[in-house]
Amino acid sequence: MGGVIRAYNLLINLLRFLAGVVVFGIFVLICVDVLLRILGGYVGMQPWTYSVPVVEYGLLWFAMLAAPYLVRIKGHVFIEAVTSIVPPRVQWVMAKLSYLGCIVASCIFAWYSWGVLLEAMLRGTLDIRAEEIPLWYLILPMPLCFALVAVEFGRYLIGIDSMYGDRTEVRENV
Amino acid sequence: MEWYWAFLFLLGLIVSMMALGMPVAFAFLSTNILGWLYFNGWNLDVLPQVVDNSTVLISRFTLGPVPMFIMMGSLFFHTGLAIRVFDGLEVLFGRLPGRLCFLTVAGGSIFSTLTGSSMANTAMLGSLMVPEMQRRGYSRRMSMGPILGTGGLAMIIPPSALGVLLASVANIDVGKLLIAGFIPGFTLALLYAGMIILQLWLLPGSAPAYDVERTSWGEKARVVATNILPMSFVIFMVIGFIIFGWATPTEAAAIGVMSVMILAAAYRRLTREAIFVAVDATLKVGAMVFFILMNSTVFSQLLAFSGASQGMLEWVTGFEVHRLTILFAMFCVLLLLGMFMDATSMMLITVPIFFPLAQTLGFDLIWFGLFVLITIEMAGTTPPFGLLLYVMMGVAPKGTTLMHVASAAAPFLLCDTVLILILVAFPPLALWLPSLM
Repeated sequence: MGGVIRAYNLLINLLRFLAGVVVFGIFVLICVDVLLRILGGYVGMQPWTYSVPVVEYGLLWFAMLAAPYLVRIKGHVFIEAVTSIVPPRVQWVMAKLSYLGCIVASCIFAWYSWGVLLEAMLRGTLDIRAEEIPLWYLILPMPLCFALVAVEFGRYLIGIDSMYGDRTEVRENV
Repeated sequence: MEWYWAFLFLLGLIVSMMALGMPVAFAFLSTNILGWLYFNGWNLDVLPQVVDNSTVLISRFTLGPVPMFIMMGSLFFHTGLAIRVFDGLEVLFGRLPGRLCFLTVAGGSIFSTLTGSSMANTAMLGSLMVPEMQRRGYSRRMSMGPILGTGGLAMIIPPSALGVLLASVANIDVGKLLIAGFIPGFTLALLYAGMIILQLWLLPGSAPAYDVERTSWGEKARVVATNILPMSFVIFMVIGFIIFGWATPTEAAAIGVMSVMILAAAYRRLTREAIFVAVDATLKVGAMVFFILMNSTVFSQLLAFSGASQGMLEWVTGFEVHRLTILFAMFCVLLLLGMFMDATSMMLITVPIFFPLAQTLGFDLIWFGLFVLITIEMAGTTPPFGLLLYVMMGVAPKGTTLMHVASAAAPFLLCDTVLILILVAFPPLALWLPSLM
């Protein structure tokens, strides 16, 4: 059991690392693209036509890959106007209902995104942007990441941890 | 179903899920699933379409500046460049009465041109300035008020991550909205400075004068040249590139990150650790915002599909009242929502209703976007749940209550209101710069 948990934690951290690589990659790709546009003519190089769709796909990938990690570190914003004023027993019930709702919604999304992914692969559906790209490239991380998000909420549901901390704790935001 | 029942049903669903304590992104997700199923006769075949639609907005190139601006701001703070700006300004301000308050406004305004997050800005200013102000005998009101006001400037002055989100969701030009905030942002900074002067005049003991070591003009010039002027390189690479049309906002944002790295490297402050911290901060904030955005877009479509948006639009425009009355009503709704919600959530709930309404009423959407940003900034400092108030409480000395923080912020909220009135009376203040693009 310990080995499974370690492997699972490793997977969450691996996805987090990949999300970091994707977002840093987006930054590098855009810079290279701009430099090639400005200076490419002098060295006989042109900007890569796929850079815009790759950045676009990267934005979804980075959000998806980081999703399980975000639930693990309690990184989501939620509204505490009601939960902070109810008695602890009611608070407990509300928290469990909330976790349950998140698990059900994530499982539905994991299941249906898996369906969309399979269909896109089998039919060879193309996503038409600046360039044509197989649609399944975009959907690929969704089934796994939503399934892992459901597992992370499951941890809260069975009481391994609680998502709700001190009311005055500030979560980062824009 | 009548539009008002559809509207109440959808709004009731999302509000009750949020009230339950569900993370905002998952409240949207659950509402979307239930709403789409309900309005399609519980036909499960609609769900693949919901999944498909949720990928559309967050895979748009125009949203690229959001993670880039977060990374840029984080690098700016973690490489120590922010402290250098502050050190430079401190020398410049000499023996000015209430100097720490003015230092806050000037520093906060410069930070706002270099970071896209008001929370990061407030946290930075708060942790730097509050202890120093307390040590110098400044009253709570004088030490916290200017920080709360100035911290929120990052939402208005470009680069603003929230501005990019707003423009993308409302389908307006990202670059124009960002640039529209430039002059009003600095006007607001001037109004804050005026408010500080007024407070100092009314309560002279609230910011006692203290001796500061004299600095020669040569030394001042040297400090400006080494600590402040180089930052204009970053500002130009972002704002200049957008204004002159040399780069899209996404490209300008990435160039901005590169410029901060170059500057940090020039000061020998660029470390691997600072880059890791910046990427991690981008993951935490950016992915969270994108996750909300992904689900809120489908919610907007649901509002339109159910007929709630159109019905609401016709209902509101059916009143024979001046359009400014409706603008005032929208202002009040945003302030009210801000008492309970974070900026991203309130923005995403209201945009699908407010922007079509504003367009129907004949408001310029860039102008209206800026109006929404200023109101959201104000909402961030309204009790009981304004996020900036809690950021401030996190860095304020022990014993500081929410009431202390909120009352310190009140005069600066007045300045925000004055700015909105100026913008209503004189729209070119916001629209002149974008008109040059």
